[in-house]
Amino acid sequence: MHGGIVASGRAGVRNTHTPSTTAPRRIGDGAFAVALTLPGLALLVAVVLYPLVSALVTAFFEQSLVIPGREFVGFENIQAVLESDFWRIFRQTLVFTVGSTLVPFVIGFGLALALNTGLRGQKVFRGVFLVPWLVPGVVVSFLWMWIFNANYGVANGLLEGLGIIDEPHAWLAEPGTAMAAVIIAKTWASFPWMMVMLLAGLQTVPPELHEAAEVDGAGTIRRFFSVTLPHLKGIVGLVLLLEFIWNFQHFDIIYVLTGGGPAGTTQTFATSVYETAFRGFDLGRAGALGLLWMIILLVLVVVYVRFSERGEQE
Amino acid sequence: MTTSTRPSPPHTRPDEPARSRRRRRSPRDRLGPRISAWVAIVVFGAFALLPAYWLLATSLSPQDQVFQYPPSFFPGDITFEHYADLADNPDLFRYLVNSVIVSVVTAVLSVLVSAYMGYSFSKFRYRGRRSLMYLVLSSQMFPQALLLVTLYAVFSAYGLLNSYAALILSFTTFTLPLCVWMLKGFFDTIPDELIEAARVDGASRLRIIHSVVLPLSAPGLVAAGLFAFVRGWNDFIFALTLAGPDKQTLPPGLVNTFVGEAQTAWPQLMAASLVVSLPVVIGFIVLQRYLVGGITAGAVKG
Repeated sequence: MHGGIVASGRAGVRNTHTPSTTAPRRIGDGAFAVALTLPGLALLVAVVLYPLVSALVTAFFEQSLVIPGREFVGFENIQAVLESDFWRIFRQTLVFTVGSTLVPFVIGFGLALALNTGLRGQKVFRGVFLVPWLVPGVVVSFLWMWIFNANYGVANGLLEGLGIIDEPHAWLAEPGTAMAAVIIAKTWASFPWMMVMLLAGLQTVPPELHEAAEVDGAGTIRRFFSVTLPHLKGIVGLVLLLEFIWNFQHFDIIYVLTGGGPAGTTQTFATSVYETAFRGFDLGRAGALGLLWMIILLVLVVVYVRFSERGEQE
Repeated sequence: MTTSTRPSPPHTRPDEPARSRRRRRSPRDRLGPRISAWVAIVVFGAFALLPAYWLLATSLSPQDQVFQYPPSFFPGDITFEHYADLADNPDLFRYLVNSVIVSVVTAVLSVLVSAYMGYSFSKFRYRGRRSLMYLVLSSQMFPQALLLVTLYAVFSAYGLLNSYAALILSFTTFTLPLCVWMLKGFFDTIPDELIEAARVDGASRLRIIHSVVLPLSAPGLVAAGLFAFVRGWNDFIFALTLAGPDKQTLPPGLVNTFVGEAQTAWPQLMAASLVVSLPVVIGFIVLQRYLVGGITAGAVKG
């Protein structure tokens, strides 16, 4: 069939008196259907695909943000990037990504399970817990910058009051604690999304399954691992994968909270590419770093998908 | 004896009443899980809400109380002076106007563009449709810090740096995947018979979209529009990079205004942060019903 277009077939099949003129019209519908997608596609090409490809291509050129013109240099940029602090940035990106994926997952899952017990006011709680997720990233950064403030921060006040620390600590300015502090701020911003997604998944678990398991003598914990978790496998995998991808390229909170510091200990691929391009004006290096970044992301995603597919077959 | 021995209809389920009784006393209602549920809500709830409370408390505390250590968890006196300070700052007002313009136009444009695209994906079947859908969906996976590296040059070449257009075009594009997905879900629920009927009545194909499909999807359009608005309202990195001082929106504007080299004006910054967050939080809570469905729709169904 020409392009194979049917105005969503179902009506045509059910309706015996569909006008017989639909056949020639379908060709026009094909062009029409494609035309409807064109404004969106044009934007995607102009704002996402073209800049992405062109950024990756600059990896092979000596090119500056401020001086026009460029020169082909092959793998020189990539080599230079690999020889500088690439592996440290990779490690830090991974720590940030895994931490800011797993910690909010545990909190989000805990809250989703709690809200799914059928207690009263479930929707009100869900709405209230969504608030941190709605707050702009910049505000999240300001708020935690203030909480972790070395001189007047409430984190120090609280921990000293509880006797956990003896004197105020500069959480964001000390290389040893800056990454953990950034992860806590990111966790605060993203656990609500995990909660909403997992709660929606939990509500699709048929209560009959739990009842049957209970009749067979399974306790709460046993039921969680043998009924709830297997049923949620798909959605758990999805939220973990998406959050991982997002965190792997997260920018706002890290950039405003620490700017990659102290001493570069919270620098990730995103902040590093940005700095290289817009502070160092070195587009070639930024492109090289970006290329390696995308390759690593792709490898990690493929490994994850393979791994979870194998888990599903077992 | 003439008892009526009418055979019961083949499809009745004799266990029906017993079943519903069992459901009423389902394990969900037990005490143990309920207590652990409340413990989880209180513990994690504290993590979720105490920082938000601290934002509010700081913004309402008098200057001298903010800068004392250890901090007192309850402000002794409440003052609105830091909010009044905000009103005196002409830069902030300009950032606010920019934010409103950019976010509103982004919302309108996103809804329009995604509605056409979502309608095409929902009601037509053509070769390459699935590939297109996945292309759109996967475009949100690309790192924005990397896109900016050359997007800056592209916008510069077309004279779009320091313009609303640069921000609006970028934000609209980044909202497309989710808006298209949400709206496709809404259009899927519109019966084809309605569209067919309008067509038989002689309505043109665009007319069908504008007078039949869109009005029926109003809740979905509002949800998608709010989503796009929030995207524009909250963005930091693009506004920071592509817009100069007079076109900058609130997030980078707040950084410029408050995060000084020497001493940050914390209570004013917290007040401004609260004001910036408020429209989004309120809009979301009002429209929660549609939005939560929209967020989870694609994912949970498969």
